[in-house]
Amino acid sequence: MSRSEKSKVNLLRPKEGHMRDEVRIILAILFGWGVCTFGFQFLVYACRGTGAGSILTRLTLFNLPLHFWFTGQFLPLWFIILCVIFNIYVDRISEYHSRRRDKSYE
Amino acid sequence: MNDSSWSIFVVLAVLLSFILVGLRQKSRESQEYGFGGRYTGRIGGGAAIASNWMSAASLMGLAGIIYLRGYQGLAYVIGWTGGYVLLLVLLASQIRRFGKFTTPEFVGERYGSPAARLMAAVIAIAISVIYCVAQFKGIGLIFAFMFDIGYEQGVTYGALAVVSYLVVSGALGVPRNQQLQYLVICVAFIVPLMWLARKLGYFWLLPQFGYGRALTDLAREFRIDFTLPFAGDSLFEWCALCFTLMVGTGGLPHVLSRFYTVPNVRDARWSVVWGLFFIALIYWSAPAFAVFGRLIEARQGIAFTPDTARAAADVIALKTAMMAGLPGWLVGVLAAGALSAAFFTVAGLLMTGAASISHDLYYSFINPKASETSRMQVAKGGTLVLAALVLLVALNPPGLIAEITAVAFALAGNTIFPLFLLGIWWDRANRYGAIAGMVTGVLCTVATPLLGGVLPGVAFYFPVTASALCGAPLVICVMIAVSLATPAPPEEMRRFLEQEVHGHLD
Repeated sequence: MSRSEKSKVNLLRPKEGHMRDEVRIILAILFGWGVCTFGFQFLVYACRGTGAGSILTRLTLFNLPLHFWFTGQFLPLWFIILCVIFNIYVDRISEYHSRRRDKSYE
Repeated sequence: MNDSSWSIFVVLAVLLSFILVGLRQKSRESQEYGFGGRYTGRIGGGAAIASNWMSAASLMGLAGIIYLRGYQGLAYVIGWTGGYVLLLVLLASQIRRFGKFTTPEFVGERYGSPAARLMAAVIAIAISVIYCVAQFKGIGLIFAFMFDIGYEQGVTYGALAVVSYLVVSGALGVPRNQQLQYLVICVAFIVPLMWLARKLGYFWLLPQFGYGRALTDLAREFRIDFTLPFAGDSLFEWCALCFTLMVGTGGLPHVLSRFYTVPNVRDARWSVVWGLFFIALIYWSAPAFAVFGRLIEARQGIAFTPDTARAAADVIALKTAMMAGLPGWLVGVLAAGALSAAFFTVAGLLMTGAASISHDLYYSFINPKASETSRMQVAKGGTLVLAALVLLVALNPPGLIAEITAVAFALAGNTIFPLFLLGIWWDRANRYGAIAGMVTGVLCTVATPLLGGVLPGVAFYFPVTASALCGAPLVICVMIAVSLATPAPPEEMRRFLEQEVHGHLD
């Protein structure tokens, strides 16, 4: 296949090695980001007026209704946690791949 | 002294001390380079990211929009923090390895097209102008509060003050000490809040949690349910706004160019985490101002009507502090923090905007033989022209601070974010795709004001402040389709992307 038909840099089809590992963690983090941000809003919306909905809005944490606490206080914290996980993982795969690369020169 | 003269005094002291500290730092740096120098580690880098981010929108607009709209306003809190996740995982290390400092430079290099570069420059300047309008509104409101004058006068004096600050610090060559800026802004926001919580009898050590009881009291005493989800707005509106602010964060030119001030990619990544933490500190606190404001108003019997609330929203933090009877100097501190955040944001944006006019428009297009001095003159003139333009719009502000800022985010999310995303992650994206994408993105952003009355559905799918939920994916699709229909980009660029940006460890 000629170059112009097959791209080598593609988020959805990463090449072997470091890039594939990196894309794997990127997609995992984006999944956690999307589900908690938008998924939770869907849940709150879908549960309005039902028993589950009143648990979400009546149960309190630090005197804040659960949904308000989750969105206003937990989500920013969750984003920080996601970034920390991402960084630790990328540090680790970078070390792994740079060690492997250096060996291949020996 | 009364409250407003206190605040003039405090504001002057804070701004002057920034210049003095900057000058001291400069002379010390020239004596012993490295000591106390630019690079201050991951935490320092994080503080710089946060101080670069903090503006009137964070310190005034956020509390205002939550005060006005309750749960719906939290979309701003989430949008403006969650965007950093996108930025970190998708762009931060890659654009650093790509090695182009500004948005027009990146676009010009990646897509190899002067036309695309010109368009990106114009869009970046437009984003800065819209962003500055919101800052000017904040500055105008604070000036009007300090000197007890009308808003129009306040914003005019504020504009004069910003431009003179730029001229003075530029003439003296003051370096920006962003770590100090963050510290001042953060303390000036949180200490008055702690005082407020204590005065109202809530848990004051961590007012970020203490306001929970105020929320309960508000519901019990006055039947005001602040937390009702999706009361006035739909789920779609909430998600569209939140998504727009997130992709906008990933596309704001002055945020993207932050990653070059840290020496290596690893530290750049970790400083994003610290930056996000420092930003979240402010964002956890902003709802507390809104809740306390509503509670005090309700207790003093001030009616909450849509019109008065909208007028008061952007200065709700200051107003709450006044109504609660905080000491005058502390109100001054609160005003000084918000004002310096707005000042430094405007200063940074006007300067980069003017540099872009001089370099990307004047030097690259109009007069390629321009000398260094004439380019400098264009840059200086450009600063004034931009400031005047911003002032003209800000005299009659089209919305709340947070809303105006959101439009800038929508434009960034619709144009620059897709350009970077595909530019980094898909080597087949070419200049035709980039140009078509930018045109589509601009159209999506202005769709509602232009076509909202003509075409049904446009105002629903592309709300002015939240057009990127439908806009950004549409732009990405257009870019992919046009790129595939036209010739592939040069082999050199594809190899560079493959080997340098994504293959540095292979």
